[in-house]
Amino acid sequence: MVKVKQKDLVLYSGLIILGLAAPFLFSAFKVQLTYLCVLIVLAMTWNLQGGEMGYNSFGNILFYGLGMYLTASVQVGMFFPLAEWTESGGEKTFVHTTAQYFQGIGVGLLVAAIIPTIVAGAIGYAILGLRGHYFAICTLGLGIAAGEIAGGIEIIGAGQGFTTPPFPAEIVDPEARGKFFYFLSFIVLVLAFVFVKYIYGSRFRLILNAIRDNEDKAEAMGIQTMKYKIVGWMCSAFFCGLAGGIMGGLIGYIDSTDVAFDGREMGVFMVLMAILGGKGTLWGPIIGATLFHFFKEGLWTFILGWQYVALGVLIVVIVVYFPEGLMGWLREKYPERFGEVIDDKDRKAQVELK
Amino acid sequence: MNKLVKLFTIFISAITLTIASISSSFAKVEGEYIVLGSAISLTGKYSSNGVHTQNGYNMAVERINKMGGVKVGGKSYKFEIIYYDDESNPKRAAQLAERLIKQDGVHYMLGPYSSGLTKAIAPVTEKYKIPMVEANGASRSLFTKGYKYLFAVLSPANQYLEVAIDLAVEKNGGKPVKIAQAFEQDAFSQDVRLGILDAAKRTGSKIIIDDKLPKELNDMAATLAKVKATKPDVLVVSGHTKGALTAIRQISEMKVDVPMLAMTHCDAAKLSKQHGKKSEYALCASQWHKNLSYKDKFFGSGKKYDKDFKKEFGYAPPYQSAESSAALLVFKDAFERADSFDRDKVRDALKTTEMQTFYGNIKFGPGGQNVAKPMILFQVRCKGDSCENKVVAPTKWASDKFYHPIPKWSERS
Repeated sequence: MVKVKQKDLVLYSGLIILGLAAPFLFSAFKVQLTYLCVLIVLAMTWNLQGGEMGYNSFGNILFYGLGMYLTASVQVGMFFPLAEWTESGGEKTFVHTTAQYFQGIGVGLLVAAIIPTIVAGAIGYAILGLRGHYFAICTLGLGIAAGEIAGGIEIIGAGQGFTTPPFPAEIVDPEARGKFFYFLSFIVLVLAFVFVKYIYGSRFRLILNAIRDNEDKAEAMGIQTMKYKIVGWMCSAFFCGLAGGIMGGLIGYIDSTDVAFDGREMGVFMVLMAILGGKGTLWGPIIGATLFHFFKEGLWTFILGWQYVALGVLIVVIVVYFPEGLMGWLREKYPERFGEVIDDKDRKAQVELK
Repeated sequence: MNKLVKLFTIFISAITLTIASISSSFAKVEGEYIVLGSAISLTGKYSSNGVHTQNGYNMAVERINKMGGVKVGGKSYKFEIIYYDDESNPKRAAQLAERLIKQDGVHYMLGPYSSGLTKAIAPVTEKYKIPMVEANGASRSLFTKGYKYLFAVLSPANQYLEVAIDLAVEKNGGKPVKIAQAFEQDAFSQDVRLGILDAAKRTGSKIIIDDKLPKELNDMAATLAKVKATKPDVLVVSGHTKGALTAIRQISEMKVDVPMLAMTHCDAAKLSKQHGKKSEYALCASQWHKNLSYKDKFFGSGKKYDKDFKKEFGYAPPYQSAESSAALLVFKDAFERADSFDRDKVRDALKTTEMQTFYGNIKFGPGGQNVAKPMILFQVRCKGDSCENKVVAPTKWASDKFYHPIPKWSERS
């Protein structure tokens, strides 16, 4: 079970209350808040293999896109012929009733969580034998290949894209859609957090760390590293699939390379956010994603046309000044607060050495 | 850990304050300004066409404001547009539409560039019942979703090159032709493809090459190699600006001989300028050409628009700019006829639009598409080193005869 310390309890309950109240407090920002939740989930679960296991994956976008297509396909396919729905220029209009919509998205999300997990297991079995840069480059190819393949499959709209079912018209309140997707993403966020927090207190994390720090030694210790690597990646895939499913419904339109298998943006962002906050920490990816999202939403529009230059500068600043991320930087500055015991004599000795 | 918690609390409250301070909402009509919103591709793969669109919007705003603005309820208002950069990304576009409506309080929208982005924005505007006049989303599937607040001043994408196939059949003595086609994998180009499929079926023509090209189109050598080998009667290529540029570059490099080359986006790509004689004889679908005889009181004729636009922005206006300018004329007309800022009244007024602009006649069909304006075809023709786009179809506006077949590269100087 997840053990929660007394003082942490205040923090957690505060955050949950904030999370529950947010869509009412900042009603106009519901979509951005939903994005924030999804970004945090992506960063946090990327951190599982990128940070804890030391396997930098650019391929998590594969599971995200897969989840997106699966949710939408199930949501449509459960009630209507999918091929006719996605047929470009199709003359027929299908309308989901309220019940159909929610049933569809519910089952869709379930499928979107399970299938990417299985896919991660299968692909992981094949490629997790690669290490270091080789693994990173291999996963980079995964997202790109998936985008191109999806762009050729007619039943999911191919290059035309896939319009996901519109929110039921019977619900008159225009705010309902925003709230629905926000709470959906918030639930996934809480689930992901509890799960990651649980892993942080478990032997599993130590094994992942051992793989990161020295895989050969870990193997020599009798750890079946392959098994743990695959399971670690499957955990990420589970949440990436869910996140993708929610985003598909929220955006309302799935494009193979620009929305679903969006390695250039989402795929890079999730890595960036985790590194910005500090990989290999529990709070790092969360803080990183939050900061990144605010930076993006706040500055993006004021520097029209230059936003990617600004992003480039941000990356340089992170790499040069905060190579360990914000949490890493804090940890170096205030090691006591991270529970590290500092020996005063040792510190003095180090100062003298310098 | 305790201090960390404190730090975190400070961090959260700082964020909360920032959000609260920027969430002051704007009004749809501020003082004497009617505020329109638009997400435009200023960066990314559609950036050049995004800028054409934005220039078209800006030109019309300036012109309408200078010529007395929009008269509603006896008072004169001016247009103002809030732009965001959608980075040529549908995900971003949908998010920005939400932002324009919810945070900036925009009640009337102008469309983005490209069908894909319009497809992403339409569900949002529909949800909030925001009328959107769009000038650059031509995909047919936009008009079959039953959208009630979407109005497009342009003809649907499937009509772009249908006529070209008819023309090819006609030149072939009424016999079916062999078609080679290559389309970018995006909503617009795929719809153009559907139009060709329809035309092929109707004329009994055979499609011998049917390739899909990736987005960010920079290479189509594989398709062209096949074209060289199979010798089709007509080669159809569509892939926005980059598609047009890539096609001409590689066709001339590889010296591909094909009797007829039909494309889209020739004028947006400034083909006749960028590739000069290499682009000669390319047949292009266009929504508009300056030589058409439409008129309105704001821009005068197409020729005058061409001149004014050149003066303002330093290049000849592609149809993307012209149709974007027309979108604002439609909005102005609708506001004045509705004589109100009520969104539903404006929408009803838009629905009954029937007007002529320098860009063409505008009347919206039940799906929101413009049904009053035909597509035109022009061909790039050169005199010496200066090349120009000459209208060749339909015959009503044709200034030149359609040159067919394209001479072989070995015979071209």
